[in-house]
Amino acid sequence: MRANFIFSEVWIGLRRNLTMTIAVIVTVAIGMALLGIGLMINAQVGNMSTYWADKVQLSAFLCKKNDPFEACKGRSAVNTQERQALLAQIKSMPQVDDVFFENQQAAYENFKAAYSSNSVFLSAVKVEDMPESFRVKLHNPEEYEAVFAALSGAPGVSNVVNDQQLLDKFFGLMGKLRWAALVVALIQVFAAILLIGNTVRLSAYNRRRETGIMRLVGASNLYIQLPFVMEGTIAGLIGGVISAILLIVAKIVLFDGMQAYFVLSTQLDWSDVAQVITLTTVVGVLICILASFVTLRRYLRV
Amino acid sequence: MIHFDNVTKVYVNQNRPALDHVSVDVDKGEFVFLVGPSGSGKSTFLRLVLKEERPNSGAIHVAGKDLARLSNFKVPHLRRRIGCVFQDFRLLPNKNVYENVAFALEVIGKPRRFIRKVVPEVVELVGLDGKAHRMPDELSGGEQQRVAMARAFVNRPMILLADEPTGNIDPATSIGIMKVLDRINRTGTTVVMATHDAAIVDSMRKRVVELEDGKIVRDQSRGVYGQAY
Repeated sequence: MRANFIFSEVWIGLRRNLTMTIAVIVTVAIGMALLGIGLMINAQVGNMSTYWADKVQLSAFLCKKNDPFEACKGRSAVNTQERQALLAQIKSMPQVDDVFFENQQAAYENFKAAYSSNSVFLSAVKVEDMPESFRVKLHNPEEYEAVFAALSGAPGVSNVVNDQQLLDKFFGLMGKLRWAALVVALIQVFAAILLIGNTVRLSAYNRRRETGIMRLVGASNLYIQLPFVMEGTIAGLIGGVISAILLIVAKIVLFDGMQAYFVLSTQLDWSDVAQVITLTTVVGVLICILASFVTLRRYLRV
Repeated sequence: MIHFDNVTKVYVNQNRPALDHVSVDVDKGEFVFLVGPSGSGKSTFLRLVLKEERPNSGAIHVAGKDLARLSNFKVPHLRRRIGCVFQDFRLLPNKNVYENVAFALEVIGKPRRFIRKVVPEVVELVGLDGKAHRMPDELSGGEQQRVAMARAFVNRPMILLADEPTGNIDPATSIGIMKVLDRINRTGTTVVMATHDAAIVDSMRKRVVELEDGKIVRDQSRGVYGQAY
């Protein structure tokens, strides 16, 4: 009986304020989706840092035939002797934990796997275009400078790439995107609070006859206020569901798509996405409930 | 049942008190007319009984409860024991007679079985049997006021407050309304009715409390409206 009555009141309220309710739903959906994207970027960066923490390495690429790199100008491809010497030099350095050699074929396979979605790119590159390289694993990725400097000048080395630097660049970009998403999310939350306030005010005005009679015949505060709060809650919940859909789309299109452009990128777990969705939905609903309550205290004196 | 002890009420931004040191006792089962010109404090008296307003000084007891010591949380329970009828009926236009009366019970959480049983009884008591499914705009003013009385009485209150219930109704119909109020009074419900209607007061011969500028100027059992008006 009670639940029945309250739900019918809620339904009437939502229908009467349909446009405002839609505005609340859209605002909450966008706000929570952006908050969720910020959190997902966080998870992605955290994920990648732990994944790469023990794998980050220096890559020393070796001169190949007709290599355009400055260090290789006027010389032919690296020969076995030079390769052995380099290997010995790397192994002798105290900072080095491990080193392995990647030949042209292996490099091509890795390249193919990384750019599998880009057939134009793949068809333009042949096995002979890929450089050989030494992959150096350090005891402490922070202390790369000495090894980096030694290898950069060594004969037969075309260039040295530090994966950590690549990651840092990527993390910097992700950090900026995260802040942008969070700032816009905050603005949306602010707009949502104002909108909910207005909706509740309209709703209270529309139903002033009913609430007046309810007060008169001795309905409890909870009974009078619950339909209004429920309206906000339901709008928040629908907004939360829409934001969940947006986040799932974002995970598939943006985060999984990122791997095609950035080789070091790792897959974002669905469990992380589920966590983010739960959190944003709860936050969205809580904001709606709080905003409803605060406005009710002003416009529905009991 | 209603006990005012030296009650003064001054509204914010008003110099003159709406009620000025009013002391009055209404016993259980009494029928009291509250008369006096507009602005004499009749409505303020009724609002104080409902604890819609708080007095600036003095004590009010309603149904044995000291209103000053009644927490806000308990005010709804006080109001469940008081029925109210107004000049403008205050019915919900989108609900029919039955639903309007049932609304008063629904919002205090009464079970549906109980509602199904008592609402038709009360609708019959106020003389609207056969019209339970009419909408308010299909009823005359007198019939609408009967619906309002059914709603006020359906929870069997100890007190019924009526604020000029015949103010919008022609004299012939008013007699019917007064008969319903009398019937309600005979069930043991205390009735306090604020009114301007001299003919009704004179015909009923009940206790009359007259207010003027917030003061009680007359309190007479089996009284009439008075010469001045």
